[in-house]
Amino acid sequence: MTRRPSRWAICGVLGAIAITLAGALTACGSSSGAGGKQSIRFVWWGNQDRANATQQAVSLFEKKYPNIKVSTEFSGYAAYVQKLTTQIAGGAAPDVIQVDRPTFGEYQQKHVLTNLSGNKNLNLGNIPSELLSGGQANGGQYAIPAGQTTQMIVYDEKLFARAGVTVPTTGWTWQEFQADMEKVGQATGVPGTTDFGWAVDWFDSWLHQRGKRLYTDNGKLDFTADDLTAFWTMTSDMRTKKGVSSPQATTKMDGSTQNSALVLGQAASEMNYDSNLTSYVSSYKGTLSEAPLPSDGTGPSQSGMAALPPVYFAVPTQSKHKDAAAKLLNFLVNDPDAGKALGATRGLPANLQTRQQVCASASPASKAVCAYEQTAKDKIGPSAGWFWPSGSSAIKTDFQQVYDNVIFGKTSPASAAAQVISDANQSLNS
Amino acid sequence: MTSQVLTRSAPSRAERVVARRPRRRRDRGAAYVFLSPWIIGAALFTIGPMVASLYLSFTNYDLFTAPKWIGVQNYIRMFTDDNHYWNAAFVTLKYVLISVPLQLALALAVAMLLSRPRRGQGFYRSAFYAPSLLGASVSVALVWRAMFGSGGTVDRVLRVFGIHTGSWVDQPQYALLTLVGLSVWQFGAPMVIFLAGLKQIPRDLYEAAEIDGAGPARRFLSVTLPMLSPVLLFNLVLGIIHAFQAFTSAFVISSGRGGPSDSTLFYTLYLYQRGFVDFRMGYASAMAWVLLVVIGLITAVLFRTARGWVFYAGEDK
Repeated sequence: MTRRPSRWAICGVLGAIAITLAGALTACGSSSGAGGKQSIRFVWWGNQDRANATQQAVSLFEKKYPNIKVSTEFSGYAAYVQKLTTQIAGGAAPDVIQVDRPTFGEYQQKHVLTNLSGNKNLNLGNIPSELLSGGQANGGQYAIPAGQTTQMIVYDEKLFARAGVTVPTTGWTWQEFQADMEKVGQATGVPGTTDFGWAVDWFDSWLHQRGKRLYTDNGKLDFTADDLTAFWTMTSDMRTKKGVSSPQATTKMDGSTQNSALVLGQAASEMNYDSNLTSYVSSYKGTLSEAPLPSDGTGPSQSGMAALPPVYFAVPTQSKHKDAAAKLLNFLVNDPDAGKALGATRGLPANLQTRQQVCASASPASKAVCAYEQTAKDKIGPSAGWFWPSGSSAIKTDFQQVYDNVIFGKTSPASAAAQVISDANQSLNS
Repeated sequence: MTSQVLTRSAPSRAERVVARRPRRRRDRGAAYVFLSPWIIGAALFTIGPMVASLYLSFTNYDLFTAPKWIGVQNYIRMFTDDNHYWNAAFVTLKYVLISVPLQLALALAVAMLLSRPRRGQGFYRSAFYAPSLLGASVSVALVWRAMFGSGGTVDRVLRVFGIHTGSWVDQPQYALLTLVGLSVWQFGAPMVIFLAGLKQIPRDLYEAAEIDGAGPARRFLSVTLPMLSPVLLFNLVLGIIHAFQAFTSAFVISSGRGGPSDSTLFYTLYLYQRGFVDFRMGYASAMAWVLLVVIGLITAVLFRTARGWVFYAGEDK
């Protein structure tokens, strides 16, 4: 019997050489699956409830497609983006990824994502076109909306009632909203709403109501320093009258429920996307209700609200198992059982049939999302026009950092606005 | 005469050298073999990346597309057109200037207390050293945030005395102080070095000073400090370098944002944001090189001026 050096020995020697040459060890990695069984990686960010639901849907998928094994990873948002970007840069991208509007713009413009339009494994027929449009660019479908969300104000019913504030049936005008929030703050001692100047998202809504938006279609700024000054002057006026939360509460805001001023009892209401409603309900001790954003006009074009995907799914161009990835995507979006498992953990299901089914049988929190979107139906516009280009992540961070200087009185809204414009132009051009 | 002597002694020295050379060469070869793990490691994981980052600092690099050469534009933008940058540099400098002297003073004071033999001194030394073992860890920073956050221990204790400060970590005027406090609390490492230094000071110097009528203050100023000055220099240089590179505490306490109002946006944290949040790796590399040069310059200046204030025993001064 001739002794041939084992595969491991060869790999060991090659590996040693590879290290000294600073070469690629990956040649020895196990890339081929045995017996035609494919292994794909699926990553996302989110809370534990989303992870449990997704894991359940993935097991259903593996049962239906025994030849595809799905390994999953999830983490918090910031860690997720850093890790994913580094993996993509290193050529080790997962097969199915979750993106949001800033990262979609970033990755799409850097040609990292696969064009999925016309993919034979993927049926998009039951997803409304106004929702699909958010994942399109240059005529291709580069990301599939995982669900639908829209903007809302979530408020504590009891605190509002104690101040004698009721939400007008057609929603607030900005003037009414300002007055009511100040009334809540002065009557209950809890500021009426979380200072919404911190997030570029609410400024985006405010701009849409004025026929503008954050970015033009070719990724330039579509607002002026005057617009931002007006917006921040309004929030600053409200702060002096207890209409919005204190600087100490506002500076902590990051969109998560654990740092939310509303949940921490430092504000009586908060602007957010309704896909977070389930988290609010599970972590808030009072009774919550929802209202549409304030608006001075009527109809979807002036509401500042749109049917946005809270997150999308996408397949990186580096994926070696694009067919299997598309099958998983198709299953997550269209399969009734997957829909049941996922519920509203990524907003309302994107697939209209699944949505009906989930809304009919979901938990009270998911039902509240359905009910809210039903009542606000006339105000929800299409997601086209809400595209965020490459560089928008940096702008979102900078926006909050600069606003911190405003709330702590280090600078005026006007000079802060000028700084945001100059920083943003740098981020968009780099 | 002298030339004769030289010519006579020269060959013999040459002979000796020739005779020794082969063995030395063999030794040197062995030395390099034994050093090779370190050399390979240093070349691959330290020098290589450093050279790469120097190159990247002259480019626009977003991780996805190939680096684009833009000359010194990153450096120009940094110095002329970036408000956060100067703020970060200023915050870091403030942190270094406050935390390093405080930490060294506390370390020296505790070292002097512990240098006298007493019961349980081993326990006290370990107890005071323990925080610096935990120091750079994320968990301690998390505890710190909980202590100084809203409704935290500090807020509650102060409330007993009728002082309402609210959350320290969420107010720009206090947030940096909590980081300084965390750093000063970790005085264990310089303390141990001071202790060793104090042991080296000959007793007879103190006895002589006492006989001459020197009080405790005079003995400290004229005996302890000068004799300890080499150790002081060592601790100062290390302390300054560490403080300039502080990252973990600010990252954890401000959730990676450097807030509130950029008050804890350390240089390294801003560098990290540019690199790993905005993916402007070229800009971040340029920032890293500026930091390296600044730390190098400060260290050089310290060593240069040290000739004036550091006293080495056995030296004529």
